[in-house]
Amino acid sequence: MPSILDKRYPGSGWTWLVTGSRSRAVYNSRIAQMFASFPSGRLLCLVVGLFLLLPSLTLAADWEAPQRELARKISAVCGPAPVSLEMVNRSELGKKDIDQISLGLRSQLNGLGVHVAPPEQATAAVKVSISENLQSYVWVAEIRQGSESSTVMVSAPRPDVGFQREASSAFILRKIPLWAQEDRILDVAVLEESATPTLIAVLDPEKVALYRFTENRWRQETALAISHSRTWPRDMRGRIVPRQDHLLDIYLPGVFCQIPASSPLTLVCRDSDDPWPLSSQFPLAAFYATTRNFFTGVLSPGVGKQTTKFYSAAPLPRPSYTLWILTGVDGSLHLLDGVTDQTANVGWGSDVATIKTACGSGWQVLATHAGDESSDSVRAYEFADREPAAVSQPLEFGGGITALWTEAKGGTAISVSRNVKTGNYEAFRLALACAN
Amino acid sequence: MKHSAWLWLALISAVLGPTSRAETRPQYGSTLRTATSVALPSLDPADKTQPDSIAKRNLTRLMFDTLVTIDDRGRIKPGLAFSWQASSGNQRWEFRLRRGVKFHDGSPLTAQAVAASIRAANPEWTVVAGSDSVIVELGTPQPDLPSQLARSRNAIERRSEGGTLVGTGPFRVGDWQPGKKLSLAANEEYWRGRPFLDRIEIDLGRSGHDQMMAMGLGNLDLVELPPDQARRPAGEGQRVATSLPLVLLALRFNREAQSSDETKLRRALALSIDRSSIRNVVLQSTGETSGGLLPDWLSGYAFVFPAAQDLDHARQLCSEVKKTPVWTLGYDASDPLGRLIAERTALNAKDAGISIQVTGTSNPDMRLERFPLASLNPRLALAAFVSSSGGPTDPGLGDSVDDLFKAESAVVAKEQWIPLFYLPATYAMSSTIENWSQHRDGTIDFEDLWIGGRP
Repeated sequence: MPSILDKRYPGSGWTWLVTGSRSRAVYNSRIAQMFASFPSGRLLCLVVGLFLLLPSLTLAADWEAPQRELARKISAVCGPAPVSLEMVNRSELGKKDIDQISLGLRSQLNGLGVHVAPPEQATAAVKVSISENLQSYVWVAEIRQGSESSTVMVSAPRPDVGFQREASSAFILRKIPLWAQEDRILDVAVLEESATPTLIAVLDPEKVALYRFTENRWRQETALAISHSRTWPRDMRGRIVPRQDHLLDIYLPGVFCQIPASSPLTLVCRDSDDPWPLSSQFPLAAFYATTRNFFTGVLSPGVGKQTTKFYSAAPLPRPSYTLWILTGVDGSLHLLDGVTDQTANVGWGSDVATIKTACGSGWQVLATHAGDESSDSVRAYEFADREPAAVSQPLEFGGGITALWTEAKGGTAISVSRNVKTGNYEAFRLALACAN
Repeated sequence: MKHSAWLWLALISAVLGPTSRAETRPQYGSTLRTATSVALPSLDPADKTQPDSIAKRNLTRLMFDTLVTIDDRGRIKPGLAFSWQASSGNQRWEFRLRRGVKFHDGSPLTAQAVAASIRAANPEWTVVAGSDSVIVELGTPQPDLPSQLARSRNAIERRSEGGTLVGTGPFRVGDWQPGKKLSLAANEEYWRGRPFLDRIEIDLGRSGHDQMMAMGLGNLDLVELPPDQARRPAGEGQRVATSLPLVLLALRFNREAQSSDETKLRRALALSIDRSSIRNVVLQSTGETSGGLLPDWLSGYAFVFPAAQDLDHARQLCSEVKKTPVWTLGYDASDPLGRLIAERTALNAKDAGISIQVTGTSNPDMRLERFPLASLNPRLALAAFVSSSGGPTDPGLGDSVDDLFKAESAVVAKEQWIPLFYLPATYAMSSTIENWSQHRDGTIDFEDLWIGGRP
């Protein structure tokens, strides 16, 4: 590899750049129809036994390879000689990482006979800038020896960003990371668990995949393609409903799928306008607008004269009736009791879910916040009568919530949000802990 | 008792209602009214007579799809093709097509139509239609072919029987007045899902000033902001969105330097320009100064190329040259900033002993031009600079960042290009626009936009 010695703009022509044909691994991105490979690099799922113990996932960076490579390139320019070393951070990395990189680089240089010395004792000055581009960190070494300068560089992969710890207080609403992936997640269901989930189903627009936690990692057990003739609507939604007599029902816009109790597992899908169940504990279902992102307003069985199009619904049991809270497409909240339909604007978002807990009145409504798509939050509310009272601090998410469903057992909910920083969809289990 | 509390809540809600609408899920419906300064005479994505621009790419993406797309991290993603495979050392590529996709006229997307479209845009390629796939055969290895096919100029188009150009994109053409107006309607059967918006009305060829006036009057929802306006505070009920710096403003000589003296003079010119002052004064601190062809966020090493003024060095280089010619510098007459920057450049050059005449003539020695980043694939982006100045379309760039740096260094060292600034694409929009998403290549996901808060 030629070193570059021109003082200002290195290089002088194209001749040495034309390298002829190269053998390069063909990149074929992971696509909806390809189920075989599991995105282990993106596997950020972690389950904890206790809801109050939220682990912080951090991926330890391994800098050894780029340290070795950059040291080799610097050594090739400087030879075995004392050099001064200056580190400049132009990336998102923190001081700890930069210190780690610096330490390792010094060690690698030392191993090659290039000793880091004070500037006055050095025969070359090396300035290493830790920069970054779309896909990687770029470590640039600018080497000055007398009047000559050279530049060498290496790239280092960027680890994916993990989940972040969130603040909490009062009635404590917690999010427990379940799954993260690049493809849109419609819903996640926990199918088996002891102290922690051991088998989960992840629904995306093209498949439902089962993952089992074994040998300290999640492994894909199966992935079943969803056959459908319809074009999915934008802002697509879907729901997994675990069943007693068979594994799963899956509700999608205009399509119903089922995994029967047979082995090997299969997914049977058909076009269907059957209503979607709104709750596992209250027998109410709603018809979904197959080309849109909301429910038509037609309920089964009916609740009074309700006909408002809505995004989601949360039931609250009362001594003699069930109060249904609907988030209308018009932006207002509707409270149905079978006789009246009261509306209000309370600054809620479009997704709500009810959970039954040992805290407070025993029933809380989780609601998203009406805000921009760069962030979102979920907060728990209680309804003493018909006015909501916040009972937790908002639980922040790194992007808009795209799904919020009560889990089958009713005590927790599943949220899906799209992290604006990573672009990944992240599924969490939401649980409420009492303040004391 | 509690009922009164509920009534109180309802009363407060009624008062606050218009400002506290609660929907966060996208809403279908509404018309987006927007404008662009580009007066596009043709909707043909492969029309090479029109210079590339962010606006042109956005218009193309509204109506047409590509075989593959490139995401914000530079990774290739499925588009009309759901998988692809290279063989023969990247000289033969097969793209398997998605089924069930239709053109706007209702005709199915076929391998024959796709092959014809790619062939028309790239006559030098051999493109063969299979049963459900398209095969591209090339004379040399092309590891970046998918990135190439993700460019909007390679969007898939078809002439309908009536001679109208049709695509498979999220919007179909309603009314088209070349260079003036484009009306689009949602493609109800779009394979990625119907867009949220019902319609988009686009005024073409409207100046930045006109656009801002129209927005102030409430006649437009989304307008382009010129660089010198990019930092202006958003008006009431408006907000401003700015992309990463992705349009290179550079001086480009119309030919390579013919002698070492000419190379020295060009280098002296590059060193004489006070980019920081021009950025602060003319561009109102928008964008970033640049000494390289690729922006730092794409390459990670652009800071290595010096962009600071060095008059002493420039004068020294000039003094080493026997004869200094008078260069002519052209600019786009429709760009009000162009003249200002060209004049500042001429003044800076004079300080170094270089004579430049700013001119509107058609064939100047160099031009001040804007070059939108061709791709989020840095190799392809650099190759586009090379080919646009007469170099090979496939300069055979290596894989590593070091290879890329050396290749860019070699291009810059030839002094045909004098990079000046990287500018962002900036928009002002009504606060009713929701779900704004602008990619790193400057394109906008119009199909995901929706309008909220409108009665």
